[in-house]
Amino acid sequence: MRYYIKKVISLIMVLFLIMLLTFIAFQVIPGDSALSRLGVDAEPEAVEALRESLGLNKSLPERFFSFLSGAVRGDFGNSYQYGKPVGELLSARLSVTVWLAVLSIFMIIAVSVPLGLVCSRKEGGVADRIITMVTQTLMAVPAFFLGIVITLIFGLVLEWFAPGAYIAPGEDFGGFLRYMIFPAVAIAVPKIAMTVKFLKTSVLRELKLDYVRTARSKGNSERAVLWRHVLKNALIPVITFMGMVIADVLAGSIVVEKVFNLPGIGRLLITAISNRDYPVVEAGVVYIGSVVLIVNFIVDLLYQKVDPRVRIK
Amino acid sequence: MEKEKHLLELCNVSVGFPQKGKKMNPVTRGVSFYVREGEALGIVGESGSGKSVSMLACVGLLGGGGRVLEGNIRFLNGEDYIILNTMTQKELEAVRGDDIAMIFQEPMTSLNPVMTIGRQVEEMLLLHGDCPKEERKKRVLAMLSEVGLPDPQEIYGKYPHQLSGGMRQRAMIAMAMILRPKLLIADEPTTALDVTIQAKILELLKKFQKEYGTTIILISHDLGVIRSVCSRAVVMCGGKVVEQGDVGTLFEQPQMDYTKRLLAAALGKGSVLKKEPAVCRGEAIVCVRDYSVFYEEKLDGKKRKREVVKKVSFDLCAGETVGVVGESGCGKSTLAKALAGLNPLTSGSADISCENPQMVFQDPYGSLNPAKTIGWLMTEPLRLHHVGTKEEQRAAVCEMLEKVGLGREYYGRCPKTLSGGQRQRVAIAMAIMLKRPFLLLDEPVSALDVTVQEQILILLVKLQKEFGLTYLFISHDMNVIHRICDRVFVMYQGEIVESGDVDEVFRNPVHPYTKKLLGARL
Amino acid sequence: MKQGRGQSNTKNWNMVIGIALVSVVLLFVVVGLFWTPYEPTAMSAALKNKPPSLLHPFGTDYMGRDILSRVMDGAGRTFLISIVTVAIGLTAGVLVGAFTGYYGGIVDEILMRLNDTLTSFPSILLAIVFVSLIGTGEYNIIAVLGVVFIPSFARVVRSEYIVQKELDYVRNARLLGAGNLRIMFVHILPNTRPILLSTITIGLNNAILAEAGMSYLSLGVQPPNASLGSMLSEAQTYLLSAPWFALAPGLMIVFTVLGFSMISENIGKKNG
Repeated sequence: MRYYIKKVISLIMVLFLIMLLTFIAFQVIPGDSALSRLGVDAEPEAVEALRESLGLNKSLPERFFSFLSGAVRGDFGNSYQYGKPVGELLSARLSVTVWLAVLSIFMIIAVSVPLGLVCSRKEGGVADRIITMVTQTLMAVPAFFLGIVITLIFGLVLEWFAPGAYIAPGEDFGGFLRYMIFPAVAIAVPKIAMTVKFLKTSVLRELKLDYVRTARSKGNSERAVLWRHVLKNALIPVITFMGMVIADVLAGSIVVEKVFNLPGIGRLLITAISNRDYPVVEAGVVYIGSVVLIVNFIVDLLYQKVDPRVRIK
Repeated sequence: MEKEKHLLELCNVSVGFPQKGKKMNPVTRGVSFYVREGEALGIVGESGSGKSVSMLACVGLLGGGGRVLEGNIRFLNGEDYIILNTMTQKELEAVRGDDIAMIFQEPMTSLNPVMTIGRQVEEMLLLHGDCPKEERKKRVLAMLSEVGLPDPQEIYGKYPHQLSGGMRQRAMIAMAMILRPKLLIADEPTTALDVTIQAKILELLKKFQKEYGTTIILISHDLGVIRSVCSRAVVMCGGKVVEQGDVGTLFEQPQMDYTKRLLAAALGKGSVLKKEPAVCRGEAIVCVRDYSVFYEEKLDGKKRKREVVKKVSFDLCAGETVGVVGESGCGKSTLAKALAGLNPLTSGSADISCENPQMVFQDPYGSLNPAKTIGWLMTEPLRLHHVGTKEEQRAAVCEMLEKVGLGREYYGRCPKTLSGGQRQRVAIAMAIMLKRPFLLLDEPVSALDVTVQEQILILLVKLQKEFGLTYLFISHDMNVIHRICDRVFVMYQGEIVESGDVDEVFRNPVHPYTKKLLGARL
Repeated sequence: MKQGRGQSNTKNWNMVIGIALVSVVLLFVVVGLFWTPYEPTAMSAALKNKPPSLLHPFGTDYMGRDILSRVMDGAGRTFLISIVTVAIGLTAGVLVGAFTGYYGGIVDEILMRLNDTLTSFPSILLAIVFVSLIGTGEYNIIAVLGVVFIPSFARVVRSEYIVQKELDYVRNARLLGAGNLRIMFVHILPNTRPILLSTITIGLNNAILAEAGMSYLSLGVQPPNASLGSMLSEAQTYLLSAPWFALAPGLMIVFTVLGFSMISENIGKKNG
């Protein structure tokens, strides 16, 4: 129990740290945002009025706490560009990014675990060599180039989907999913390649350990050795690896959303950066940062659930 | 009279592993021996002699592409023999665990770390025969208590890392013995354990042999272990059987040179290398008083100092060799490292009459920087202390290389091209480059084979005479201590429990722990 | 358990193919530094979106610029950015990693906590945050990626130092009287070379991918200068009418990354 409390406290502390850094990065370092929005030639009265309305006249700690309490409630103020509350903008785009991530993570797990096991069962066999070659090549393909190739082949040549013609889930959920499959594949394929390789290395490392010999000496068949003894041990490092993959999937979605013209959080973030729309950037960073941290937190808990050696009384 | 039954026979067996390319590289050649039903057979040999490989070949567990190249391995199954080396893996799976069970050296790594002890033992019942569920648990618990594990109910649900080394090995034995196999192959079962626990595990094996008539094949490099359990033994070296016979005859009247050498090393019958005993005259070169050494430990997040060496006091005279003997964890290495100045957490006083005393470490593979050449490494002490010009340094290093029996052609070579013995020579040479009169030797020959051990010991004696060195010689091996030291300290749990002239201590040990250590020898 | 017979052969082939790929790419880049068939930014209304031909082996883009010249120029820019980035990350990472790993203690703990948090974030996300603060452009992207790569290098070096400092050869050096700095940089550092080599090749790959990604998002190299990423971004609009426009820079990235990963794989295997 104490272990969990410790973990939760450290999670909260890091989240707090992220808020603080974001605040410093976007509200302290850039200087006077009222002045920069209105330009240096603006009337001093107008600048003063904007300062007042943005709450820039208060002291830094005060401003940080109002930022913090807003962030906790999901209120990051209004977007400079759209004039709308940032929370609204984000929640409208949330479902796209979440679906994209969920679909690709599902694909990664569903495809890479069986492939990894096939490879490690017969190292140096035909299946292993082909899979190894293909995965090595696919790992070198950046997700956005893969997305472009997919658009070219499946969108323009085969016409399985209309590139750029995103279908909102409210309109036609089936159509939405059908469209989302393609960007999800673009994100998933390089990660599948990485995961297969990682899993294979992990299984092969385990197969060399003494306990596998013991398991064989008990009369286990090769299949039983792999499934009953090796798999659980080999998956332990893969759990940590998957945490990293999930974080990468989120990052990959930023780029892939642009390729497939998806109105997700990544697109919003990039547009906001080019327009210096700081409230939106802040919110995007805090949002993605929190998700990454929470995923890592879950991975940690899972890890200590699966591996009795890290279990703490 | 009925022909005596051999449970397992190896006939002219050669085992090979694939080398680069396609050729099979034989590691054992024409190995033949047998084991009678119900007897305990020992297989003796140094690492790499092919003793483990021969037994793994019997059950088809060679791994790494290894296989039996020629010969037959026959196993008595009921009335008839089955040929193990021609059986398919599927057929062997039925034999493994059920008829032939195995236990291995390192019980920590040999047990599945994420499976409870209970489930690992129970798996044997699942794999062979069909035992109902309630019955299974009952049998596992009974077996756990039979191997002497306290509170089987609790152990059942524990993971390997929660048990001590001895308990893990007991659990391994429970797993191997639960089906009452005809043959138990024990591969160095006690090597990783302390002397006291060793004896108990061996007792357990003997008990099973007597009670259930289990045939045992015990693989060990330790002749003492073989003698305490086995009635017959096979001596292996370089992939071949050198000699075999009853333990009594074999150990009393060995025929082959190799066996004699092994026995000599084990019995401490090797000649005493130190001819003239050192005479203490004048002042002590090392003077240690109430010396304690601590380790910082983290327990439940709190830092604590643990006293590893507890208030030891002794003097060393110039030119003598003093042994410190004890089991791993008794604090002898910690003492040496602290005296060399590698551990600042000490109390009491240690006056050493020279600055930075040098030390030779146990593992010659770790003590030489793999990124540098031998010449660079040996010049380093001279460079650091600004001794001589570049040319003089080079000349001094070459001279020292000759002195330790390597020759100047080793100057430009890398440590990884050297054998263990050669590396240890370099390590010794590095340690005496600065000509400090006091040298700490931390298990300097423990990682080496018997023959190489001998050469290094001779070198140490020669160098001591030539340079007038004083040695503090740390070892767990009573025989080595006996051959090279003038005096000995016996360490137990951080304290010196007995000290005195080597011959005297070996002849009339006073402390019960010394007696136990000496008793564990042949 | 069975080892494939051809295994040692495939390993060598990996290295050969890897080196071949990287050499071809390097040839492109080095030649591109001094000479390109056409001026990379020279436009021509008459040559818009022309498919590959003898005069323009990779075709031309929507402004009539020669794609081969732009790929050579862009690959060079991508390469230089990546190399400088890795150099910054490596130098700072080795220093931070060596000191924290060797000395340990409270500074190490704090830095590594921070490091763990940073490395758990995808590097492109961190880079985006920094870019949003200091702005886009070639030099900014070098600074940003260089800083972003420090933690991963520091982590590798640190863990290597933690292992190495406990080895007997380090104890031996200390007994001989070597000082801490000498032990750190003369005795231990050469032993981290194998792991550094493979980390550098992996780092180069990550830098190339990150730079391409950033430029694709128009956060990196700015037009009219070419970079592999920004070319892909422009090419996307003309995907149907001029697919060669996207394939040339894309395949260039794939070959480079594949080449480096094959080499680093082999280095990794050689060191066990």
